[in-house]
Amino acid sequence: MKTLAKTKIEAVLNQLAEKAEVYVPLKQGAISSFGVWSAAVSGENLALESLNTLMSPKSVVLPQTEKMYTFATSGQQAEVKEVCADSGERVIFGARACDTKSLNVLDEVFLTRGYEDAFYKARREKLTVIGRACAQPGPHCFCSSMGVDPLEPAGADVILYDAGEEFGWEPVTERGQALTNQLNEFLGDRELPKPSAAEFRTRVDIEGLPEKLNRMFAHPVWEELAAKCMNCGICTYLCPGCYCFDIQVKTRGQEGYRFRCWDSCMYPEYTQMAGGHNPRQSKHERFRNRFLHKLEFIHERYGTLGCTGCGRCVVMCPNGVNIVSIINRLREVDVDVR
Amino acid sequence: MSDNCNCQNPLVPSIVKVVDIIEETPDVKTFYVTSDNGIPFKVMPGQLAMVSLLPVGEGMFSVSWQADDHLEFAIRRVGVLTDALHDIEIGQEIGVRGPYGNGFPVEKCEGKNMLFIGGGIGLAPLRSLIKYCFKHREKYGSIKILYGARSVADLCFKQELFEEWPAQPDTQVFTTIDRPEEGWNGKVAFVPTYLEEISPSPENTIAVICGPPIMIKLVLQSMEKMGFSDEQVITTLEMRMKCGIGKCGRCNIGSEYICLDGPVFDLVQLKKLPPEW
Repeated sequence: MKTLAKTKIEAVLNQLAEKAEVYVPLKQGAISSFGVWSAAVSGENLALESLNTLMSPKSVVLPQTEKMYTFATSGQQAEVKEVCADSGERVIFGARACDTKSLNVLDEVFLTRGYEDAFYKARREKLTVIGRACAQPGPHCFCSSMGVDPLEPAGADVILYDAGEEFGWEPVTERGQALTNQLNEFLGDRELPKPSAAEFRTRVDIEGLPEKLNRMFAHPVWEELAAKCMNCGICTYLCPGCYCFDIQVKTRGQEGYRFRCWDSCMYPEYTQMAGGHNPRQSKHERFRNRFLHKLEFIHERYGTLGCTGCGRCVVMCPNGVNIVSIINRLREVDVDVR
Repeated sequence: MSDNCNCQNPLVPSIVKVVDIIEETPDVKTFYVTSDNGIPFKVMPGQLAMVSLLPVGEGMFSVSWQADDHLEFAIRRVGVLTDALHDIEIGQEIGVRGPYGNGFPVEKCEGKNMLFIGGGIGLAPLRSLIKYCFKHREKYGSIKILYGARSVADLCFKQELFEEWPAQPDTQVFTTIDRPEEGWNGKVAFVPTYLEEISPSPENTIAVICGPPIMIKLVLQSMEKMGFSDEQVITTLEMRMKCGIGKCGRCNIGSEYICLDGPVFDLVQLKKLPPEW
């Protein structure tokens, strides 16, 4: 097995950064996120050891805002200029299984069912993912319950196994092998034990859940569950599998650009129509849509769940809305109550 | 940014010119758009397109007709974008992208009697199928059109409604307004009430419905009362949309997206989905 001594991580990142934009877990004050590794970043900010970053790495393939095209008008004339999809090489270093798995969810949404999203595709095709096996889940982690193997990050090109002073380095795709070949001078070669199965404090049973939810749209339990939610939307921004976006315009004089940006199904404006009609007018309708989307609708449409058990929403919800308790409550209620 | 960008981003519109504007009602105008190379894309009846006034915004509209040399959009003034669109003049260049959605099942309707039930601006999407049926008249049986609006002034497509369509073979047009009005000798009733009075036979008939959600919901109840089966009833829905290609998330009803899987659903499909529209 290839190995990477932890003392050589910065050298490897520097090497990778010569040819690609390298995203690493970084701690900056109270915020941690996948940021670009550069000469300006200190190794002290690297957060490889701590659990999930606050912000997921979805922004590497789906930036928070992204210019799509510019336009210019003159009298009645108008002209549009496409902004070229960004197609530089990118590497994500140190993503855990919950986050790599949610890239698979995003792939389904953006690359299948009739249309390919040009911007997402350009970024995704040039992306190499170095995943990191996760043997010590946090108290709110529940990825294993959502069908994610924390030791084998699905969708990663290389998997790192923590073995104390060094990482085991295992390429699992051709892309990962190619990257490994480029880094040979930094890598060692000896057998290391792979970490054994992680112990989870948080577990939830989802067997049959999407099917049960299909019969629960009109269930009164949704109002009860939504009572604590303030529709602040933080869960949707932090969720690695939430992908909804808005398209907006910025106009200055005769020119401007149209951009897209993350949106949230928690906000009434999300579905508010100009004529006044809003199919999800109330808080509990928006709440219900979010959880059904994660646990039923995405499953029906794409055959995978929209939640990968990263626990970010559980930790950061200001009012203690907890998807695990919600699933437990949904399992426990009688489906025939309407 | 590059002039020879080849990304073919489906979210980028092409530029077309507004070549005619018809004032249908005090708050509905029909815009004819085309480009130097002809129509920007072909649409089937019931399909959608995203229309943008570049500095203001973009919105999804049904294409109310694809003529040989232009597309027609009948647009009601209800918000920021449509307000601005109502202020433009002939010659204005705007953006369009599409076509989006499934459109009406024109082949499945062949050989059937067609019953159209519309309310307000809901006649705009129906019009694309009505005109298609007239264009291919021999393929369809009898045609009945029931249309209602708040007042006489609010009736869209008046020339077609009162002159062109009633003159077509084996065609009946029923028009109604919500409240009595001086000078109007026609029917005064809400659409579902009038529908039950007319009580069209379900035999070999397909009913196509579009209007405000509340009208659709009441008409669906009437259809059931009159003995129409779920397979015979088709509606076209509307929801806020941004991308039009099933990615941005907001136009879902359950696991279906109106922009991609709709906007046209028959009642069999619709009954499998949550009633959230």
